[in-house]
Amino acid sequence: MTILIIAAKDLRQRLRDKSAIVLGFLAPVAIAWLMSAAFGGVGGFHLEAAVVDQDGGDIAAAFTAMLADDDLADLVTLHPVSGVDDARAKLADGEVSAVFVLPAGFSAAVRGTAAVPVTVLGTVDEPVARQVGVAVAEAFVARFNAVRLSVVTALAAGADPATVADLAAEAARLDLPEYLVDTPIGSRQLSAISYFGPGMGIFFAMFAIGFTARGYHAEREAGTLDRLLAAPVRRGSVLAGKSLAAFAYAMASLTTMAVVTTLVFDAYWGPLPAAAALIAAMALAMAALTALVISLTRNQRQAEGLASMLTFGLVLLGGNFVFVSVAPAALRGLALFTPNGWALRGFTDLATGAPATAALLPVAAIVGFAAATAVIATAATRWRRP
Amino acid sequence: MTAVLECVGLTRRFGERVAVDAVSLRVEPGETYGLLGPNGAGKSTTIRMVCGLLAADSGIVTVAGRTMAPGSAARADVGYVPQDVALYPDLSARENLRFFGRMYGLRGPTLAARVAEVLDLVGLADRGGERVESFSGGMKRRLNIGAGLLHRPRLLVLDEPTVGVDPQSRHAILDSVRTFGAAGMAVLYTTHYMEEAERICDRVGIIDRGKLVAEGTPRDLVAMVAERDRVEVAASGDLTAFAAACARLDGVDSADTTDGQVHLVTADGRALLPAVLAVAERGGIGVRSAQVVEPDLETVFLHLTGTALRE
Repeated sequence: MTILIIAAKDLRQRLRDKSAIVLGFLAPVAIAWLMSAAFGGVGGFHLEAAVVDQDGGDIAAAFTAMLADDDLADLVTLHPVSGVDDARAKLADGEVSAVFVLPAGFSAAVRGTAAVPVTVLGTVDEPVARQVGVAVAEAFVARFNAVRLSVVTALAAGADPATVADLAAEAARLDLPEYLVDTPIGSRQLSAISYFGPGMGIFFAMFAIGFTARGYHAEREAGTLDRLLAAPVRRGSVLAGKSLAAFAYAMASLTTMAVVTTLVFDAYWGPLPAAAALIAAMALAMAALTALVISLTRNQRQAEGLASMLTFGLVLLGGNFVFVSVAPAALRGLALFTPNGWALRGFTDLATGAPATAALLPVAAIVGFAAATAVIATAATRWRRP
Repeated sequence: MTAVLECVGLTRRFGERVAVDAVSLRVEPGETYGLLGPNGAGKSTTIRMVCGLLAADSGIVTVAGRTMAPGSAARADVGYVPQDVALYPDLSARENLRFFGRMYGLRGPTLAARVAEVLDLVGLADRGGERVESFSGGMKRRLNIGAGLLHRPRLLVLDEPTVGVDPQSRHAILDSVRTFGAAGMAVLYTTHYMEEAERICDRVGIIDRGKLVAEGTPRDLVAMVAERDRVEVAASGDLTAFAAACARLDGVDSADTTDGQVHLVTADGRALLPAVLAVAERGGIGVRSAQVVEPDLETVFLHLTGTALRE
């Protein structure tokens, strides 16, 4: 009961502190929205392209048809152009961001030995579009060259030159084996807000560690902690009450973040029970970290320093600011030593359509981290003699 | 009579420094006991052990028959009023009292009644809903004391409650402390203002460098130096050297300097004055005033410890 009373008093004070409201509820929503706006383009890339067909042959037509295929409708939109000059004008206007110029003789080259280059035109304003265009052209040309190589090899082996067209058609029908297969746990595409929502929510909720620990030492310096400890209250109850307040604040902050980003920005945090379990586990870890910071420090300055180091260290290692999936392997490994790294892994799996059970391992890892941290905090508290 | 508070051989060290050295004292029900000593004498350390905030290296504290230590149940019998205003400024007076009352196990109608009673007692009944941060220093001090009374403790411990308080509030606080004692509560009161100790304490313990050097009623203590005068010389210049020179004069028991004054204890103050003024003249000391004071607790303290109380 005493623990609840202390936690309730702390929360009442927290709610009267405008900075805590801003940090816990307003800032994470705003920053998550900004970061998803900044990084959202990576996930939702769309190429506005044009093809200048100076060849007019069947291979050139096949290239144009490939770009216009329904399967690529979400990725590429083809714009009609009358020639290179028209294409350049549309590039300059920003109407298109990449132009493929297929030269005369492009189709005929499949049956010969001369190389015919494909030109990709782009603008310095949209380097990513140009890179994607080059990659698309290279992939097509690689396949084109594979067909050419097959035909030349067959002719060298004594095939009838009259069957070149049949040979080329036969080679073109053969699919190259796919060595690299993307096998996500879920089936949805991860949106930026579904990643940065939890990422920023956890980051800002972690500020509860710092100001709760500072609050404990502020009470020590103001004398209210002595007054509490002069009452029939155990020191452990005071620590537990403070940690419970941090838990409740983190829960409220992350829950608000989940609701707002879901309703306003269309984020997906996963099935409700699984997302709730991850949020609760993460809040538990923050409560344990709060107890650790309190038990290892002696004044507000130390508490602020240690809490800042922990918060920024954990969010940098855990991947709150960058997509962990595109981080170096070492960083991805280090993320699994942090509760927030596990939480983001769980939220990412859930957001990409994995079943609720995908949260079990992250929740277990986070709870394990919290338990180990709480044990250290308890030992440190007992070690100090009053 | 059974003592509410009994300390026997209380000792606490911080590293090599002995902050409290074998202090023994008793406070009876209805008695106000003043622990008198300068800053750093060991008053607050003693109080922290009495309240269970600090563990003793040796010795025993008993409150209402129960042994006191950090975490002990005996804390329920003690009302602690810290030196600084230990309240939550962003909570109202009523919210503060409710919170601390709950810490002592008060609930429901009992808690509400006690909060109202204490607000009335400290003269804040009409300001209970206002945040403490909006209160004057005197109001905060009164509420600070009130928070220690909520659970009707058998022992009230006040750690220098009048430091930094305006004269009007100070009078009010001292009057209320006398009331607590009259109501049967045992009061342990620390101060370095000897006039406070003389005014409200039934008995006084003089503590210096961690040791309880004398104990008794103010009258008994003053009687110890009844044959002694205190000479106070207000002067400017090197007062430390001046006090040292005075201490070498015949008939001077002790000499110390504080607050621009040199304090001397001697058997015959009037006879000593010419010699003191001569020393001042030789040392280039500018004397503004010199007076012989009747013996009081200040004289006792100076006589026993060789140092002035208000350091």
